[in-house]
Amino acid sequence: MVNDERMPYAPYPAPTGTAVAAPPTPVASAHGSGPWFLARDNLGVLIDLLREGGRTVIGPRVMDGAVVYGEIRSVDELPAGIGDEQSPGKYGLVDGQHRRVFDYAVGPISPKRWTFPPVVPLHVGRRDGKAVTFEPAPIDAPPLAFLGVRACELAALGIQDRVFLGGPYTDEDYRARRRNALVVAVNCTTAASTCFCTSMGTGPEVRGGFDLALTELDEGFLLRAGSREGADLVTHLPVRGADAGQLFRAAEVVGKVAATMGDPVPTAGLHDRLLAQFDSPQWARIAERCLSCANCTMVCPTCFCSSVTQRSDLDGEVSTSDRVWDFCFTAGFAKVAGGNFRSRPRDRYRQWLTHKFATWVDQFGSFGCVGCGRCIAWCPVGIDIRAELMAIAPPLAAWSEPTRPRPVAATPGSFATARIVSVRNETADVTTLTLGDVDTALLAGEFGQFAMVTVPAFPPLPISISRFGRDTIDLTIRAAGPATAAIIGLGPRDEIGIRGPLGTSWPIERAMGHDVVIVTGGIGLAPLRPLIDGLLAQRDRFDAIRLYYGARTQVDQLYREEIRGWAARGDIDVQLIVDRATPDWNGPVGVVTNLFDHATWDGSRSLAFVCGPERMMEATVEQLEERGLSPDRIFVTLERHMECGIGLCGHCQTGGLFVCRDGPVFSLSQLGGIFGREGI
Amino acid sequence: MTVSTSPSAPDLIAALGSSWFGAGLPPETVARLAAIAVLQAVEAGDEVTREGQITEALSIVLSGRVALRMLVPERGMVTILTVEPGDVVGWSAIVSPHRATSTAIAIEPVTLVELPGERLRALLRTDHALAASLYPRVLQVVSRRLSATRMQLLDLFAREEWGRKDETSW
Repeated sequence: MVNDERMPYAPYPAPTGTAVAAPPTPVASAHGSGPWFLARDNLGVLIDLLREGGRTVIGPRVMDGAVVYGEIRSVDELPAGIGDEQSPGKYGLVDGQHRRVFDYAVGPISPKRWTFPPVVPLHVGRRDGKAVTFEPAPIDAPPLAFLGVRACELAALGIQDRVFLGGPYTDEDYRARRRNALVVAVNCTTAASTCFCTSMGTGPEVRGGFDLALTELDEGFLLRAGSREGADLVTHLPVRGADAGQLFRAAEVVGKVAATMGDPVPTAGLHDRLLAQFDSPQWARIAERCLSCANCTMVCPTCFCSSVTQRSDLDGEVSTSDRVWDFCFTAGFAKVAGGNFRSRPRDRYRQWLTHKFATWVDQFGSFGCVGCGRCIAWCPVGIDIRAELMAIAPPLAAWSEPTRPRPVAATPGSFATARIVSVRNETADVTTLTLGDVDTALLAGEFGQFAMVTVPAFPPLPISISRFGRDTIDLTIRAAGPATAAIIGLGPRDEIGIRGPLGTSWPIERAMGHDVVIVTGGIGLAPLRPLIDGLLAQRDRFDAIRLYYGARTQVDQLYREEIRGWAARGDIDVQLIVDRATPDWNGPVGVVTNLFDHATWDGSRSLAFVCGPERMMEATVEQLEERGLSPDRIFVTLERHMECGIGLCGHCQTGGLFVCRDGPVFSLSQLGGIFGREGI
Repeated sequence: MTVSTSPSAPDLIAALGSSWFGAGLPPETVARLAAIAVLQAVEAGDEVTREGQITEALSIVLSGRVALRMLVPERGMVTILTVEPGDVVGWSAIVSPHRATSTAIAIEPVTLVELPGERLRALLRTDHALAASLYPRVLQVVSRRLSATRMQLLDLFAREEWGRKDETSW
């Protein structure tokens, strides 16, 4: 149970070489302050007590040839006398040397299954005529008691606490589940060959985050309380004060476990070392074995990537959105309408490993690995993460969270609604919706930000805001599949669900007093339109403004009337080019860089804002740099698969950056070597 | 109709030297090229080169827009690229077999500095210093055009079509 009295989780990762942390502060009780001794025959009393308190006890039991967590109704269900043998790609049960019940190392299932279940309903979307509503799903968090939680698993809970509760957005489903779960931890008295908690600084001795902690001896259990609720339980248990011999033997057995593990993954400098190895040939070697099966992420107690899926009734009037586990190893995880950013297994493996041991540190201040070894034992081809880390051997400046407008309906389960005022077809497959009745948070958005947009029965889509009106916003959407078709097919007075504004914006204030160069192609003009509006609204605060816009053909140009209007002003140089000339086109033909590669203006006075397909932006950036623009004055956008919009679902991670949160607008210097690199 | 004029040498040197192409050449090279150069005014619709025919001159566009077109049966003349001021038309005048790779047509009134092919080739054969400075510049023009053509080949703005082939739920 989460409360203030429980030991706060120790700073993590612990400095290497430090001894196990001090025991929890003794809690006063009728039986003294502990540690106490609970006889083996009385363990059942604890289980009964927890059950009588209305809790479902989730503890270790043998199922399908493994020790897994499941409901425990009686002490007889615990795996007495059962041990395990684990090695890369192998897991098997053995008869233990003792009749101990906690004489195994961790199995494939961790408490994550209950705190962050594989499927959780998020909301129910309803369509009633033209109106739509999004009603959050009720949170169902039954009172649980985890029994047998190991030190590495407590650390994993601490990491997920940081992910889901550490802000700026919180997951209320997770919070409820954590609040309603009591934790009875166990110090490890055995380690598998796959264990490496000593390297990650998480075990084998529990250091906090529990209500009760047990250390198993032959004759029974040494017992400590870590919270008031834990201490209250002790008052109802047949315990006595532990004697010095028991304390000594308990410390000795845990110490021996630590010694057998050694320090297989020295973590000092691992973050930088790993990030320097994006191009290591080892990634390809791992990929020759890796099946991209995602087993490692499923058994991992900290992996938290997710997707949102829809279950709709047949006429699409009512649909339930579920948050489901997703994995950076699945083929579609980094897919966007035009392609897949991590189509190769080597890229997915690199994404996973660099997140766990490097970019997680940038994101959450700790490693994303607790050294439980599950991913090693349960890898069907026996890839040993410890060996791979040692075979691969980095630098990314820590990012700081910029201050931005708070979005309305920030978290993936919630949506505000807006009403369509008008619909305008820009091209054969691009449509602009003007939305009214929008939350003021959206109206206060910044140029370049985006919103997550949805209608019931379809997945939410990231759409850049293409205009901020006085009390409306525009969304310009290209038809890419059923979801975009459903949105584009709506008409005036129809409602849609919307979350935002999200992401970063074009830094217009930095351009004041400078020349501005805007280079864009195709639908890339949409996120730049608010910037152009903003530049023209305060035209005298900027020097020369140049707009270079490429499109496939003349009829694929967005906002044709407006562009004509901009060109007619005379105070902005508008140049258009097409890839494919139609007979009626007498303007320039070729790629967008042709428009300025012979120009005479000096780039050193300019800021550049670039948006378009990534290859187009690469060619543009090359030209701009030749022209004297430094990387900190060139801004580009990245398109990635975005779902949650707040840096939590994992899809859009690109190196140490999350496109939805740290982008979509980035300076080139911020991206560094990531820009234009394959498979990141 | 194309009108040739022979302005004074200093005018031609200035015109050539201030163009994007000429600005990348040493002054001695510009001066020598100016000595054989002719200023041409080309009317909209007039051809500068014709695909498959001998290219008579290497020209630098000073003003106006030239379209490079290729004839595709049943589609007619397709514009592949437009050449903007500063750039070159007719590089095949100095690359064997000297046949134009596309038809260059002025789509608005164009001014060219024309370097007649035969005289230019003679100059390149005898003046190695000039050749050593001109060839890399021409190669740069051609390589830029090659890279740009590859980018066009990628058809980057046609992603909606990929989206349809590649089933997505978006």
